[in-house]
Amino acid sequence: MPINHAAPCSSECKENVSSLFDTRPKVNVHIVQTGESYACSTNESLLQGMLNLGRKCIPAGCVNGGCGVCKVKVVEGTVRSLGPISRAHVAVEEEVAGYTLACRVAPTVEVRLEVASKLEKLLAKGLASQ
Amino acid sequence: MGIMRIGHISVKVMDMAAAVKHYEGVLGLNKVMEDKNGNVYLKCWDEWDKFSVILTPSDRAGMNHVAYKVEKDAELDEFKKKIEAAGVKTTMLPEGTLPSTGRMLQFALPSGHDMRLFAMKECVGTDVGSTNPEPWPDSIHGAGAHWLDHCLLMCEFDPAKGVNKVAENTKFFIDVLNFFQTEQATVGPGGAFQLASFLSVSSKPHDIAFVGGATPGLHHLSFFLDSWHDVLKAADVMGKNKVRIDVAPTRHGITRGETIYFFDPSGNRNETFAGLGYQAQRDRPITTWTEDEVARGIFYHTGVLAASFTEVYT
Repeated sequence: MPINHAAPCSSECKENVSSLFDTRPKVNVHIVQTGESYACSTNESLLQGMLNLGRKCIPAGCVNGGCGVCKVKVVEGTVRSLGPISRAHVAVEEEVAGYTLACRVAPTVEVRLEVASKLEKLLAKGLASQ
Repeated sequence: MGIMRIGHISVKVMDMAAAVKHYEGVLGLNKVMEDKNGNVYLKCWDEWDKFSVILTPSDRAGMNHVAYKVEKDAELDEFKKKIEAAGVKTTMLPEGTLPSTGRMLQFALPSGHDMRLFAMKECVGTDVGSTNPEPWPDSIHGAGAHWLDHCLLMCEFDPAKGVNKVAENTKFFIDVLNFFQTEQATVGPGGAFQLASFLSVSSKPHDIAFVGGATPGLHHLSFFLDSWHDVLKAADVMGKNKVRIDVAPTRHGITRGETIYFFDPSGNRNETFAGLGYQAQRDRPITTWTEDEVARGIFYHTGVLAASFTEVYT
């Protein structure tokens, strides 16, 4: 029985492993601040796609559009809405400017995101991954 | 005499159909009515008053108000005097402001949350009735929650600026509303700052709780279950319904409660909570959790405080 002596898993490697089990059409999601990227299905939210891979590049909270911690700005590419987002966290003007909640939008094409969460500072310190 | 228990909580939801499906199908409440503004009223099977949860359509999540029930109507006038004497403005909302509910004394807590007291709500009985009752009804569904047990409110906490609404709320609840403190978490030099506070007005370990955060909000509304096994079954129901679980079944050191934290479809945190960990009494020494052990107080098994506990709320 072959023993896998593969190098420690890089983020690209994780994506490949995942694709063995999940053959849905995917697009790449890039996080501007950290340079990280992951593959997200076009029929699930940006946040759920990340959570499925066990990744932590966007802070995750209620995953239901209410708490606002997964606020992002879509700087390139397009997304489609999967449900309402709290106006306490994303005002209409902000939404027009590209802000949304990662838990409530699915990518339609490859996207580049800026994490705009109030937890961004925590993320930088690595605390959001706790 | 005085305040008896939490009577109801009114929360904002962004998708009413999804919210009703969640509170009925996952928690096990039943919708009892809908008013002309689209607000939906629900109750648990083991509650006898007409409703305990009000869902209101909104463009955001969060709490509208929380209401506690007093024993006698005349006590509302006494509380009005006492609350105003403490420098807090009150408004007496007339009977019928909420359906099947008597007059309500409305006031803002030091933390800014809208609180109300009422004495009358239509008694419709539990789902097993009061004559030779069975232990549970055949109509039980979802987690089969018995009753709305308590809520936890996030209160502004910034000791560097001298702001601690946890401590202010605690003082108000003890001095004015006649609650008593069961447990607290303290931080800072010598435990100078009360970061979390748990208060009872019954014999339960808590009827309301306050935790410090950056902004005021709703941390969770909690529903009572009988046993640890019921907590496991509730988690199974959440799995079936693909509910977003925040903290999987575990125990709180504080209150000794067995718990699951999860989110409703608008992101309001819910809890299913089992085990009346001890009998709360006014002369029981207050339990204190120190800064170095507070994580174990919150999540006893791991002793790890998930960032979501203090950062994610509505």
